[in-house]
Amino acid sequence: MIECIDVSYSYHGDQEKATISCKGGTLKNINCKIENGTFVLLCGASGCGKTTLTRLFNGLIPHYYDGELSGQVLLDGKEYKSLSLFDISEKVGSVFQNPRSQFFNVDTTSELAFGPENHGLPKDEILNRVKIVAEQLKLTDLMDRSIFSLSGGEKQKIACGSAATIEPEIFVFDEPSSNLDAFAISDLRKLLITLKAQNKTIIIAEHRLYYLYDLADRVLYLKDGQIEGDFIGKEFAEFSSTQLEEMGLRPLVLDTLSQLDTQKRCSVGSPWVVDNFRFTYKKSKKETLFLDKIELFPGKVVSVIGHNGAGKTTFSRCLCGLEKRCKGNVIHDGKTYNRRQRLKLCYMVMQDVNHQLFTESVKEELLISMPKENEQTVDSILTEMDLSEMKESHPMGLSGGQKQRVAIASAIASQRPIILFDEPTSGLDLFHMRRVADAINKLAESGKTILVVTHDPEFILRCCDCVIHIEDGHLKEHYELQEAEDRQRLLSFFE
Amino acid sequence: MTSELLASKKNNTGIQFDPRTKMAVLFTLVIIILGGSFQTTLYYTPALLPLLFFLFSKMWKSAAIYAVTFLACLCLQFFAVPYVPGIPGYLLMIIVLLPLYFSPSIAIAYYFVATTTVSEFIAGMERLHIPRQITIPMAVMFRFFPTVMEEWKAIGDAMKMRGIRLRGGKAGAILEYRFVPMLMCCVKIGEELSAASLTRGLGGPVKRTNICKIGLHIQDILFLLICLAGLVFQIILWIIG
Repeated sequence: MIECIDVSYSYHGDQEKATISCKGGTLKNINCKIENGTFVLLCGASGCGKTTLTRLFNGLIPHYYDGELSGQVLLDGKEYKSLSLFDISEKVGSVFQNPRSQFFNVDTTSELAFGPENHGLPKDEILNRVKIVAEQLKLTDLMDRSIFSLSGGEKQKIACGSAATIEPEIFVFDEPSSNLDAFAISDLRKLLITLKAQNKTIIIAEHRLYYLYDLADRVLYLKDGQIEGDFIGKEFAEFSSTQLEEMGLRPLVLDTLSQLDTQKRCSVGSPWVVDNFRFTYKKSKKETLFLDKIELFPGKVVSVIGHNGAGKTTFSRCLCGLEKRCKGNVIHDGKTYNRRQRLKLCYMVMQDVNHQLFTESVKEELLISMPKENEQTVDSILTEMDLSEMKESHPMGLSGGQKQRVAIASAIASQRPIILFDEPTSGLDLFHMRRVADAINKLAESGKTILVVTHDPEFILRCCDCVIHIEDGHLKEHYELQEAEDRQRLLSFFE
Repeated sequence: MTSELLASKKNNTGIQFDPRTKMAVLFTLVIIILGGSFQTTLYYTPALLPLLFFLFSKMWKSAAIYAVTFLACLCLQFFAVPYVPGIPGYLLMIIVLLPLYFSPSIAIAYYFVATTTVSEFIAGMERLHIPRQITIPMAVMFRFFPTVMEEWKAIGDAMKMRGIRLRGGKAGAILEYRFVPMLMCCVKIGEELSAASLTRGLGGPVKRTNICKIGLHIQDILFLLICLAGLVFQIILWIIG
């Protein structure tokens, strides 16, 4: 049982630390009691304190992250402060947001054995537990594999397994779905059902509610660091979409999305034609991408969907000219663009924007993207993207959302006609997701050709005109989103 | 698609060796070849060791490449180098001697990284009673290296796309553009990685178990004896002169 009595918390020296991992996230006067065997969903907008609360529950606060903590947090009646992380790790297992950074080992079996190894259990006992957990959580196919060969969803399942081998009573999840596709999310749901059936206590902080709201026994709604609502699961499931929207939450049922108004934009100018794209991985004999002909219209937004590994990312990388092994051209107005020329034609806003912010100030960042440096244009773009106040700040010191806007601003500054977005909304709450959608709509209205690789159906309906569905490297479907039945077709892919 | 320092998946073909044996052979070979005068016949015997390992592990391709490179250089050294005069002769000598000199060590090092998994390596280190303060950072390094390479590539792509290339004396700026985001990303990943390991009880007060099965078998003992003999011989040579 976990109990919080008058708990308040704030991260130390906010500014510096906040840039690395914990934006906002202070807590005020938290009082709650979590009984054994309950499934608790923590929800709320970004920065509301969900993640901070999970860190209190797994002991990373106060033992790993510094900060000012007042009040008492109790685990089975003992204060977290008096327990060591090692003691806590016996009772609480954690799964984190980023599948890339939660493995200590490089192979899956060692990773599952890692917890019990640290606890010094006898070897046979460990091997036995690894076997049982692998069977229970259906990980047997993933055993004895290299971590680096797994997809994000597989990694997340191994992370759950790794937490489960210590046999904790409590599982704490921090936004486990934010980097996963629709397929992997439904696997994650099955895994949560298994854990729930074992009568474990499950505490999960999440933005995407559609895949788990019906599992929750209890829902805690946080706002600005306080518990604003404490609902019984069934009660929460009845909430209307307008109620949820007022709370800043994503919808529970995807179906309601088909009523959204989609964009009705006309294309301006002639299309960019993707002609005969072929791509083969090194050491692989089979071609992984064959796209004969796709037309991309200026002034429209195209979303690229498909399961993980279907070739969406490969396609966008080929389009940008980043894959040397890619054969094929892009034709526009009778002019052919080869790979090298496409490097100057396209601009990709990457999933991890940290990879593409290089300079010391936001202004500088835009200037180096421009074909010809021009400070006036910089000012007007910054005003448009709501960044003028940060003109002189270091990009790495900004919040995640602001960094993303800087990357979009440099895409505009580059004056390139085609702009790609790779998973721009992974891990974003309703408010921030809409903000990105608005930015993309504006870009489209200014005549850019836009491609968005995404797993977020709501986001697609808010800003995309049509859908390219890629499976196994082939173009499966290409359709517009104007009609209600097409929107239904899109949603059925995500269910 | 990733570059890994040590193998992350077990390779079960052929005869298996204990990581300690491989380390001992690597060590011995480096000492004998780089420390000794390689003109002696003593040199050619240890050069056979990598070949034996490749054959035992059924790594046919590596064995062939190594044997061909080594023999070709050897032939050139005997039948070509003495007959080419002047500067071309010197050049040829360098081209021939470098691989002759370094290929056994490189081959055995390659064998080591290609056949040893990280867990085996750590288990081996633990059996040698190397303290945890050394083994844990090493384990982290093996885990971290491929990640750093991934970050490096992603940042390189971003630079290529934005057209940031070496031009007009901007070398310093290029380095900065590459290293600043990379350090930021690595710090973030490192921070998350330590948090995750701590919630799995790393660094607790109890003695850690290691489920990895390693042990010295007859083949290990044989090779360890060969190494010992080689080292003793080398030391005697040093003492004599």
